[in-house]
Amino acid sequence: MSAVLQYTVQGLAAGSFYALAALGLAVIFGVLGVVNFAHGAFYMLGAVAAAVLLDTLGLSLWGALIVVPLLMLVFGMLVERLLVQWLLPLDPLYNLLLTFGLTLLLVDLVKRRYGVSGLPYERPSALSGRVEVGGVGLPVYQLFVIGVALLVCLGVWLLMTRTRVGMIVRAATERPELAGALGINVGRWVTPVFGFGVALAGLAGVLAAPFRAITAEMGSDFIIILFAVVVIGGLGSIVGAVVGGFLVGLVEAFGQAYAPTFAQVLIFVLMAVVVLARPAGLFGREEATA
Amino acid sequence: MKKRRTAATASMVMAGVLVTAGCGAGGPSAGGGDFTDDKVVLALLNDASGVYKDVSGPNSKIAIQMAIDDYQEKYGDDAVVDDIEVISADHQNEPDIANTKAQELYDREGADVILDVPTSSAALAVATQAKNKKKVYINIGAGTTELTGAQCNKYTFHYAYDTWMLANGTGTVVTEEGDKNWQLIYPDYAFGQDMVKSFTGAIEAGGGKVAGTIATPFPNDNFATYITKAGAAKPQVIGTMHAGGDLINLVKQYNESGLKDQGIDLAVGLMFISDIHSLGVEAFEGTIFTDAWYWNLDEKSREWADRFMEETGDRPTYAHAGNYSAALQYLEAVQAAGTDDADKVVEELEGKKIDDMFLRNGEIRAEDHQVIHDVYLARVKGPADVKEDWDYEEIIKTIPAEEAFRPASESGCSM
Amino acid sequence: MLEIENLSAWYGEAQALREATLSVGAGEVVTLVGRNGAGKTTLVRCLMGLHRHLTGSVWLDGRDITSLPAHRRARAGLGWVQDDRGIFANLSVEENLLLPPRVSESAWTLEQVYDAFPALGIRRRAGGTTLSGGEQQMLAVARVLRTGARVLLLDEPSEGLAPVIVAQIGEIVRTAKQSGIGVLLIEQNVRFAATVADRHYLLAQGRLVESLDNDEFVERQDELLEHLGI
Ligand SMILES: Nc1ncnc2c1ncn2[C@@H]1O[C@H](COP(=O)(O)OP(=O)(O)OP(=O)(O)O)[C@@H](O)[C@H]1O
Ligand SMILES: [Mg+2]
Repeated sequence: MSAVLQYTVQGLAAGSFYALAALGLAVIFGVLGVVNFAHGAFYMLGAVAAAVLLDTLGLSLWGALIVVPLLMLVFGMLVERLLVQWLLPLDPLYNLLLTFGLTLLLVDLVKRRYGVSGLPYERPSALSGRVEVGGVGLPVYQLFVIGVALLVCLGVWLLMTRTRVGMIVRAATERPELAGALGINVGRWVTPVFGFGVALAGLAGVLAAPFRAITAEMGSDFIIILFAVVVIGGLGSIVGAVVGGFLVGLVEAFGQAYAPTFAQVLIFVLMAVVVLARPAGLFGREEATA
Repeated sequence: MKKRRTAATASMVMAGVLVTAGCGAGGPSAGGGDFTDDKVVLALLNDASGVYKDVSGPNSKIAIQMAIDDYQEKYGDDAVVDDIEVISADHQNEPDIANTKAQELYDREGADVILDVPTSSAALAVATQAKNKKKVYINIGAGTTELTGAQCNKYTFHYAYDTWMLANGTGTVVTEEGDKNWQLIYPDYAFGQDMVKSFTGAIEAGGGKVAGTIATPFPNDNFATYITKAGAAKPQVIGTMHAGGDLINLVKQYNESGLKDQGIDLAVGLMFISDIHSLGVEAFEGTIFTDAWYWNLDEKSREWADRFMEETGDRPTYAHAGNYSAALQYLEAVQAAGTDDADKVVEELEGKKIDDMFLRNGEIRAEDHQVIHDVYLARVKGPADVKEDWDYEEIIKTIPAEEAFRPASESGCSM
Repeated sequence: MLEIENLSAWYGEAQALREATLSVGAGEVVTLVGRNGAGKTTLVRCLMGLHRHLTGSVWLDGRDITSLPAHRRARAGLGWVQDDRGIFANLSVEENLLLPPRVSESAWTLEQVYDAFPALGIRRRAGGTTLSGGEQQMLAVARVLRTGARVLLLDEPSEGLAPVIVAQIGEIVRTAKQSGIGVLLIEQNVRFAATVADRHYLLAQGRLVESLDNDEFVERQDELLEHLGI
């Protein structure tokens, strides 16, 4: 029983990274129609930035949780302005290739600058240690990660459902041309939305820094799992990204516990089952028949 | 061992033996005609950009160049060959790339020896090329015991370390010190399985037992639940066979798990000083592992480490030192043989006793080409004990050369 | 207020509109009648700036808007009701109404909309596409009225709807006309067109072949029906 509680917390903590990053992937896909292959690299940059800021400026995790997403927001907006926007009118495949190339470039630059063995990271002592819950010691940091992820997901959900900006993003996601013809300057939202999605990946990276190896390659497998998450949740669905993220985290944890060698395979089995049963994903809408 | 170790290879050697042989009318040979192309080419084949880049990678080329310089300084005009060159290639830890590159290096680039080659499957591919081409290969980066076992051959030498030596060092000593009940976590591929076998043997020999093993996917970044599971069996120590980024993930999540506070230790099968450098001593504090060499071991090591640092800005890993030593010993053998002919050089190397900055009480065992030497059981220092950058290891035991490696009688090698 | 001069449009090599010239005045209802594939939708998409492979020019209130992007045309006063109604599934009924920005003083308030269309008020929190087809058409029209658009471009609003609802739409068009709004109504339903419009243009194979006032139109109704193949 106590083991099940531990596995659940571990699954939700891992799922937190997936949920946050997948959320970013989903908004970017929704508004731009771009499958952002570089999302894993942005996650990696978030973690690397946290480590570098700690090393050079002594900026702790608390600061990094604010500063790094802001830096990534700006970086994402630059990427959109300088690169992504030029390919938007073309087949989405071009942007998939562009972001794939960008991934190789970023990974290589980080390798060149910071090597391949990874960077050290120390979390604030307030987040070390464990709390007793029903006789089980649960790591404070994992609970913290879950808490932050849930808060951010809730915040994004409120932003999307309760504000005019969210309404515009939903409309532009569903039918960008119509939103434009109704007087919405969709183009104006494209850059901030891309930056916002990138910032979420960066935030996931910061949260991962204390308990994942911070290396240039850390996003390479991550992006593959993220794709599984958004396929499971439904491409472009915001709720789907979050639910899919936590679900995949849990599948991973319980897979590790009860079928160790197949933990990763199970995720893709889940994906296959979802695709067969509901091709649009758990929360995706079937393509509207125009 | 797929990835991992780096090592640099060094390549030394000279030229090539057979290479085209066009000799015929060939030009006059400076050194008296015993050197193919009138020069010796040492080829470093390793991981120039992936996970083993930091532990060996391009810095090993610098180490090999240092060996060439030292050789030339030592022999001056008496050197049997004047023209010595080091070249390098990136095998990206892929056995098929390693295979093609080895062929190119031997045939087209005129390599006389290939050095390093981390990743066991890649190393075995290169060993096969060495055997077919009758050219020397000195492994530094890979850990598989096959190189001196069933797949041994006349032209292949195994320097530095192997999985038997790691398991024997860490497994036996940790068990003898009182941690008798083990859980092993390993990456589910050849290297990991090999390590589990070696560790189990060593632990049982030390009077302990392996109560359970857990296989994990490779590569992997989430070990939290595997660790919880291993801890739930209440062992005295968890042994991990992971390396590189996977090891860092695992250690971070072990520290998170609270098992340390419950007195469940972590022993690491394979670790490099570059791992400690990247993650910081706090994370690894107290971890016990076996090291083939440590830069701050003694005056001789430190002196060389200072030179290396002047060249590269970093302290050397075992692989940098190992590539230097292998290159130097190869050149010494060429000097003694007066030729770069592989058969003659091998004859010089076999049975040679060596004591240099890397090998202590070293011997190139003739029977299986295992290079035996003293190895070290190290404990990672706590932050308070670190006096300078890279000052991370406290050597708690020296394992003498004769005990450190698998006895030749058990190797199963026949050349 | 809306003037179109020599408008030609292409899909690749194929020409879909040929030098169409027409106008809609304030408080005037003008229909564009033509059979399937005549180019009616293409024409409104050109007016909205959604189809850009074209020559000719479009003027609104004496201002050339030919090169403006779609959202600026909407803000200049063009209110488009798409042929598939264009209701957002991810937005509630009320959000569908609130999404487009107000563009003039004459914009309807939400209260006015709900007074005129009680069904929308009752279902204001429901998802946009959970409404019936007729209610969705009401929502689409109400949405552009709420912005205060001064020229409505209605693409076959009566299509597939029950006669009572078509009559209701006729009511709205007349109300709009009375408040000085110009309406370009695309229709294949000739009888309905005759009940609301002042003038009619007949479009065949991308060309405006005739321009009739409503009396002529009514007289020649049978001939036109035959032409349209209905
Ligand atoms: N996206 C497109 N690509 C190529 N040709 C098109 C496209 N859209 C429309 N067409 C062609 O252009 C012509 C005009 O089409 P349009 O949709 O404007 O006709 P319409 O009068 O609105 O017809 P309907 O009554 O069916 O709505 C038709 O021949 C149609 O096949
Ligand atoms: Mg049409």
